[in-house]
Amino acid sequence: MHRIKLTDHLILIFGVLFLLLPIWVVFASSTHRPETILNQGLQFWIGDYFWETYSAVLFDNTGFTEAVNAVLMLKNSLILGLGFSVGKILISTIAAYAIVYFRFPAGSFFFWIIFSSLLLPLEVRIIPSYEVVSKLGMLNSYTGLILPLIASATATFFFRQFYKSVPEEILEAARIDGAGPFRFFVDILLPLSKTMIAAIFIIMFVVGWNQYLWPILMTTDESYFTVVMGIKQILNDLEGNRIPQYNKALALSFLAMLPPVMVVLIFQRWFVKGLVESEK
Amino acid sequence: MKRQQFDSSTLPYLLIAPQLAIIFIFFVWPAAQAVYQSFMLEDPFGLASQFVGFDNFIDVVSNEHYARSALFTALFSGLVAFLSMAIALLLAVKADGILHGQSAYKIMLTWVYAVAPAVAGMMGVFLFDRSIGPLNHLFNATGWPFNPQLDVFDASVTVILVSVWKQISVNFIYFLAGLQSIPRAVREAALIDCRNGFRRFWTVTLPLLAPTGFFVLVINITYAFFETFGVIDTMTRGAPGGGTATLVYKVYQDGFLGADIGGSSAQSVILMILVLGLTIVQFRVLEKRIHY
Amino acid sequence: MKATKTILAAATGLAMLGAGAANAATEITFWHAMGGGLGETVNTIAKDFNASQSEYKLTPIYKGGYEETMTAGIAAFRAGEAPNIIQIFDAGSATIINAKGAVYPVAKLLNENGVPFHAEDYISGVRNFYADSKGDMIGMPFNSSTPVLYYNKDALAKAGVQPPKTWEEFEDIAPKLKKAGYIALSQSHTPWIFSENFHSRHNIPLADENNGFDGVATKINYNNEHMRMHFSKARAWQQAGLFGYYGSKWGDNQKPFIDQEVAMWLGSSGSFGGLKSSAKFDFGTTNLPYWNSITKGEEYTTFIGGAALFAFSGKDKAENEGVARFFQFLTKPETQVFWHKETGYVPITNAAYTLAKETGYYKDEPDAEVGIQQLNQKAAANNKGYRLGYYVQIREVMTREYDQVFAGTKSVDDAFAAIEDGANKLLARFAKTVQ
Repeated sequence: MHRIKLTDHLILIFGVLFLLLPIWVVFASSTHRPETILNQGLQFWIGDYFWETYSAVLFDNTGFTEAVNAVLMLKNSLILGLGFSVGKILISTIAAYAIVYFRFPAGSFFFWIIFSSLLLPLEVRIIPSYEVVSKLGMLNSYTGLILPLIASATATFFFRQFYKSVPEEILEAARIDGAGPFRFFVDILLPLSKTMIAAIFIIMFVVGWNQYLWPILMTTDESYFTVVMGIKQILNDLEGNRIPQYNKALALSFLAMLPPVMVVLIFQRWFVKGLVESEK
Repeated sequence: MKRQQFDSSTLPYLLIAPQLAIIFIFFVWPAAQAVYQSFMLEDPFGLASQFVGFDNFIDVVSNEHYARSALFTALFSGLVAFLSMAIALLLAVKADGILHGQSAYKIMLTWVYAVAPAVAGMMGVFLFDRSIGPLNHLFNATGWPFNPQLDVFDASVTVILVSVWKQISVNFIYFLAGLQSIPRAVREAALIDCRNGFRRFWTVTLPLLAPTGFFVLVINITYAFFETFGVIDTMTRGAPGGGTATLVYKVYQDGFLGADIGGSSAQSVILMILVLGLTIVQFRVLEKRIHY
Repeated sequence: MKATKTILAAATGLAMLGAGAANAATEITFWHAMGGGLGETVNTIAKDFNASQSEYKLTPIYKGGYEETMTAGIAAFRAGEAPNIIQIFDAGSATIINAKGAVYPVAKLLNENGVPFHAEDYISGVRNFYADSKGDMIGMPFNSSTPVLYYNKDALAKAGVQPPKTWEEFEDIAPKLKKAGYIALSQSHTPWIFSENFHSRHNIPLADENNGFDGVATKINYNNEHMRMHFSKARAWQQAGLFGYYGSKWGDNQKPFIDQEVAMWLGSSGSFGGLKSSAKFDFGTTNLPYWNSITKGEEYTTFIGGAALFAFSGKDKAENEGVARFFQFLTKPETQVFWHKETGYVPITNAAYTLAKETGYYKDEPDAEVGIQQLNQKAAANNKGYRLGYYVQIREVMTREYDQVFAGTKSVDDAFAAIEDGANKLLARFAKTVQ
């Protein structure tokens, strides 16, 4: 493309440092003892407690059932992250498609109903949501954990924007070719949306991954513990009775960042420049 | 909104049904209950309740701290939305334009979004701690008597900074995706027509990015209004003097922490109407200018 | 004798086997807010309980912090999915106790299941907070602590002073500590230490309706001359460099003591555990100071903070019996001493305190005894505690106003007027909800 300017690089490097430095500090601090962290704060250099911290976090079995460990928590967070993002993409791509590409009464009305779900965050409707989920018998289940979270319009809104920006000529050409709504969607629109789907997947994966309030409220089974629940439990310190094990909390936080990074790595090749297939 | 569309009687309903079903069961039904509760005075366990009409709303609005909180919310949301969008846009445009090392930058910049709000808040607490926080030392070293535990302005700076930090990554992903879906032919043509990078951005890239940009704007306003209480809860709990409590944090305080169901429901209804109004304005005023 | 014992044991074993085979253990659930090491101690106790008998199986589950646990309990109760036992903190006590019929009072539960309840078995400073006005416990105190004063022995030696018993003595020694290079005092919880227990220590009523024990309180009494005097003094001390206010968070006010900037710190009787691992100096523990001018020589007790266990109503007889058995297990001296030693929370029964003394525990850990001794001091009308609705929000109002007093942006009089106004509005609202 155009020549790479030094200032561009500088801006990017500065941006990277601003965003990444805290993450390095989290990792470095997790290799120290809790007393060190309490007395001297977050550390920039690696300490001597790496093995003790990480082996405890990864391999210790804690909890009343003695089955809670990092593997279990990561697994649950993974299920939430994947279930949430996949579920969201599935229903929102088709819903947005209906809104944008079809002329049907109440289309606008439905869009606004869907959109209104952004206006009352889960925390505010959490007690009634609990009752609903309980009535449906979904307490202590992955379905109950994931479905209520999907009920918000972000992805549908996002795809609506994107579909509206797709040039008309593409649809015209497809119709001339005799494509019906189904073929148009599957063969043309979806491939065009690859980048957008990747973006939404990456972001929604983390939203599901980081859920705290809803899981802790509606599960009473330790086998559903997620990573964030684990982190907050370690940090739950009352009246200074004991020093919280900051090193373990930081280690868990660091581990919790790794799978989303892998998600980004996997999907980054979908962030491909240009729309090669659309060139006709 | 012209545009070519399919005429099919049943298909659109089928396509939109799953989303609508989930929304009705898991959003509208609980939300309706929350709205209903805003008109009631109820003990949290649901054992005694009475209808009080608009009393809860009057109580909420006549509270002098509500007005203060509303003002802070407006300032906070505006700053967080603007800063995180502007910085993310800058980074996205630059990352988009660079050929070599693009993936490395992209991965490193997007990593941050994975940090859970609770964790970001905890890091913020450590970074701004009075005795051991490096950022606290940094600010004090520049001559600013930085004291977030006692000074409202300083405390506001800390929560804004951490909220912006968290949101930049997400916006970066959205903007980058939006930039990448501009057809290559269009970009190359623009390059030929307009050599000045800045001009090119304003006249070509930005309008093409507008649909994504509009989405990002609405989402960021929503994020700043609704999703930031996690950071506030971990870092300041609305202190000092209640000065860093946003409207949604007050809802969380009164409802989740204080078990005042009627009061917090009334507050959330007011908040919902506020943001809905804001959003309608955005749709009416801004969306008209976007050429899809 | 031995033969009889063996036969008895064998018979019991057979009977239990038979019973076990016939009925599966009744399951009872326990929701708590004990994270970190505290949670592990809870799990140990639960496991010990389960191992000690075979009719009931107790499953504890961590539900987040105090507020999250209470909200979870509320949501579950409304959906008919409440647990058997739930841990509710002091500020939430009015919420759960005043909800008519939500909980099954502990005293009643114990008496009905063959576990006689006697209020005198419990330490005086502990027994009343979660009890009704007749002294029958509604909730069972679980993790209890009380405010005490920690002091840096080196610092006080350097200044040549003794730890103060009264605030008058404090005013004498504080300038000497300042000269020695320290800020004399900080404290970690202005509502709990400087307000609620201030009232208890001086036997001043907190609110009407006997502090909320006789009925639903609607008038707060914080805006009184003694409180205004105390906070005006505290603000003056702050301006003179004798008192440090580091914001409203517990840890922010404790840290300067650990860092040896502050010579004395008002914390909780349970804090000595954390202090031992983090403080690099010799520290001592003594009682919460009081104003001799107000008490005229009397030393009244303080009351407990922390949380209590409540039994939800609407459970069947077998489960309620299991809950009673667990409470019985919990109040055994051995269990209490274990909990006390592991966590630093005070034991709640006199028998447990005696047992702890007998084992010589306090010779090794004198700090651990100060809180209990304080809770055994003279008890009068206003030492029971409080039961006020929407108290979480009231504490927020208090913290908000105190922040402003110590930031110098509001006068003490204005702050207390605001506290009175805000608190009374909240109390009135709460009163309406439980009508």
